[in-house]
Order: sequence, then structure tokens, then C-alpha cells
Amino acid sequence: MLSDIILIVRDNWLLLLIGQYPNGPLGGFAATLILSVLSIVLAFPLSVLIALARLSGSPFLFWPSTALVYIARGVPLLMLILWVYFMVPLLIGANVPGFVTMLVTLVLYEGAFLSEVVRAGIVALGRGQMEAARALGNSYMGAMIYVILPQALYNMMPSILSQFVSTIKETTLGYVINVPELTFAANQINNQLLTKPFQVFAILAIIYYAVCWSLTKAAVMLEQRIARKRAGQPGTALPVDLTPQALTAEP
Amino acid sequence: MTNTPPAEAAAPMIRFCDVNKKYGSYHALVDINAEVARGEVVVVCGPSGSGKSTLIRTVNRLEEIASGTLLFDGRNVHAKMRGSELNHLRSRIGFVFQSFNLFPHLSALNNVMLSPIKVSGVNREVARDKAMALLDRVGLVDKAGSYPAQLSGGQQQRVAIARALAMEPPAMLFDEPTSALDPEMVGEVLAVMRGLARDGMTMMCVTHEMGFAREVADRVWFMDAGHILETAKPNDFFNAPQHPRAKRFLSDLRH
Repeated sequence: MLSDIILIVRDNWLLLLIGQYPNGPLGGFAATLILSVLSIVLAFPLSVLIALARLSGSPFLFWPSTALVYIARGVPLLMLILWVYFMVPLLIGANVPGFVTMLVTLVLYEGAFLSEVVRAGIVALGRGQMEAARALGNSYMGAMIYVILPQALYNMMPSILSQFVSTIKETTLGYVINVPELTFAANQINNQLLTKPFQVFAILAIIYYAVCWSLTKAAVMLEQRIARKRAGQPGTALPVDLTPQALTAEP
Repeated sequence: MTNTPPAEAAAPMIRFCDVNKKYGSYHALVDINAEVARGEVVVVCGPSGSGKSTLIRTVNRLEEIASGTLLFDGRNVHAKMRGSELNHLRSRIGFVFQSFNLFPHLSALNNVMLSPIKVSGVNREVARDKAMALLDRVGLVDKAGSYPAQLSGGQQQRVAIARALAMEPPAMLFDEPTSALDPEMVGEVLAVMRGLARDGMTMMCVTHEMGFAREVADRVWFMDAGHILETAKPNDFFNAPQHPRAKRFLSDLRH
């Protein structure tokens, strides 16, 4: 069993790592990593903007952002991916690469989910902090940037991290629209070997687990660093279980 | 924004003209007419729910008013104005909260420095020097690097006062600054406020500290059910209150 795994990795490591590249598109682990990083890097600021739009009094910001959140919450991600995959080329009359389809869908979907976490963090602070900042003459956005968001995002770090980890795992769905990422590569290998699905997908599981675990570990370290800086501060110690198991659980 | 000319020195710092405030059908402030002169210390007292906090929060527009005019340093606070104008106006009104509302993610020093840098555009070094001077003034220069959660309630409130003073406001508002404190910490905060009053700061202070009112206030406003029922010098108010409600309030305090 273990020797099978080692053999499979030895024979196919390049395919697992970069897919068909340079003879085809960049794929495998590299594509998964790029897709994950881009999704998170784009979805996070988007989520803050959506949260601010939902909290703003303006109906022009509130309604579109609220609609996006409700759609994302009410529709399975896989269905959304298929919709974008089939409908967007019809609407714009041009072909969209699967990678771009996947990236855009993930950013919108995860941005919407994450925005509710961010919004909860802001609302949970209560109005005293905003009032104090405004009473000193800070603008609404100034107060948000320097007073509210640093606290809200820090307090919500476990939930935000768990959403990041979800994003990494959701890149696997790119498989259904032929995005040549890691799962796609593993399936190619499985199709060649035919008799060793357990071993092939065990490799896949190990790689995903390692990536998600590393992200969790990095976030915990970051959090401890901030906590040390504010040492002795009760109420900011996170009561939430920060083990990888707790954080990688599906929301 | 109405283009009110800069008020001459004799004009009051804060002036309420027929100010009314409603929460739905509840009339929180009723026809308020009153003035706080420059350099004057006014203590607002009265039973809970009488509208004291609402009154003080209308001065920097944390609460909107339904009708009337409220002038601060000659400027109409509740006039239609751009956001930046309101921010500037607020930066000139120091406000101290009952619950301190220090920024917990910033050290005491950064709490004091933040707004001069971000709002007034003061250079960082200048802001730091001034913040240290202010922390010295409230007796907390050795706590500059401490975070709010590492400070006692009294210390937090003194940092909050320094933070408000950092914007160099011509007037300070205090909304029950000692009500959330343990009894042994009330004194240190009142001492700082006493120092401010001595230095000629215009102050409007909602408090239940009648000793402070007696000693420091130039005038006491007594409020009940949204009305200012009595304004008097502290001696007159405490020794010979005129309004029956004020008499009852003071006699309840003694028991």
C-alpha cells in the first residue's frame, strides 16, 4: 500500500506538481495553489467591501450586496460554477477559460460568505467604538479603517481562516469544468492505473491536508503574535478551538 | 452650513435654543433653552431617564434633534452640512464616555496619538510628544505603552480624557465619567477634571458626584423628564432648591 503510493508519486510527480505544463496549461498542485491564493487574496477585500455595503445606510449599496449574499447562501457552489461555465460564454459571446470561470465564481461565492463573517465581527463590537472615533472627528471610513476593522477582523480570525480553508478545498470543484488542477491530475493518473484508486486519492488527501494544515498553523502563529503584543488583555484570547480539525470542518 | 461669523469672546460656548428631541412618540428633550458660557463648568444632574445623557450627546451630534437650534462656538451643530464639516466640528468638542471606549487594539499612547495624526494631519513626532505631555498631565506617562485591558478603570478614563484633549478642543463634555468606576477610582478621575476646570476649560458634565458639583461647578442644571427645571449656582441649588422635583431629588440623595 505505502510502496504503491511511493511508486505512483515517483512516476507521476511532475503531473501532480504542474500538470501537462509546458506542453499544456499549467495544472496540478501549482494550479491549485495559484487558484487558492488568488481566490483568497481577491475574496477577502471583496468581503470587506460587501460587509461595508451591507452596513451602509445607502439602498444602492445595500440591495445589490444583500442579493449577492443571499444568492451565494441559497445556491450550491457546484451549480453556480456550472451556471457561470455555460451561461457567461453565451452572454458575452466569447470563450472563457475554465480557470478564469472558477476563479471568478469562487471569489464571488467566498466573498459573499466571508462578508457575513466580517459583518458579524463589526456588529459585535457595539456602537461605543464607532461613537468614540467619530466624537474625535474621524470620518466614518477613517473610523472603520483605523478603529473598527482591526478589531473586528482580529476577533473573527478563526471564522475567516476556516473560510479560507474552505476556499482551498472548493478549488477541487474546478474538476467538473476541466480546470487542470490537482484533483484533475490525480484523476488522470487514476484513469491510467485503473486498479489503484485508493492509493491515488490517498495522495490527494495528504496533499490537501498538508496545505490546509499549514495555513491553519500560520494563522495560529500570527494570532499568537498579536495576542502576545496585547499581552494580559482579557477578552481577546480566542475561546474557539484552533486545532486543524476544528478549522477544516465544513461550515 | 450657515455662515455664522466667528463668535466674539462674550458669546456663549454652547447655546441651546428651543431644542426638542423625540424617540418615536417619547419626548426626550422638551424646549431646552440654556447656555454654557466660555470657561464655565456646568454640571447636569437629575434622576436617571431625565434626558441628561441625551442632552449632552446632542452637542456633538451623536444624537440628532427634532427641532430647535444648537450653537457651539457660534456654529449651528445641527445644520445641514458636509460630512467633513461635521467631523471638523466634532474634533473641536472633547467627549468623554461613561464606558471609556478606549480603542483596545491600541496602546494608551496610540489611543491619544491616533486622531491628531489621522484627523488633524499632525506629524507623528509632534503628535507623540504632545500625547506624552497629555499622559503626563493625567498622571499616566509610565503607562504609555500599556494596552487598555492592562489598565484599571480609573486609568482608562484618564487616558480617555487625554485622548479627547489631544484634539485641543475649546470645550469638554463628560457623560457620567465616573459612573462605571469602582469607588476608589472615582477620585483620580475627578482630580483630573478638577485640574481642567482650574485651567479654564469650558466643561459640561453629566454626573452623580454631588461633591464634585458643589466644589467645581459654576452652575448646576437640574433635569427631569426632558426639561431643565432649574439652573442655579451650586450653593443655592444644594442648600435651597426651588423646584419641588429638585427638592425631592436632593432629599432622596441624602437617604
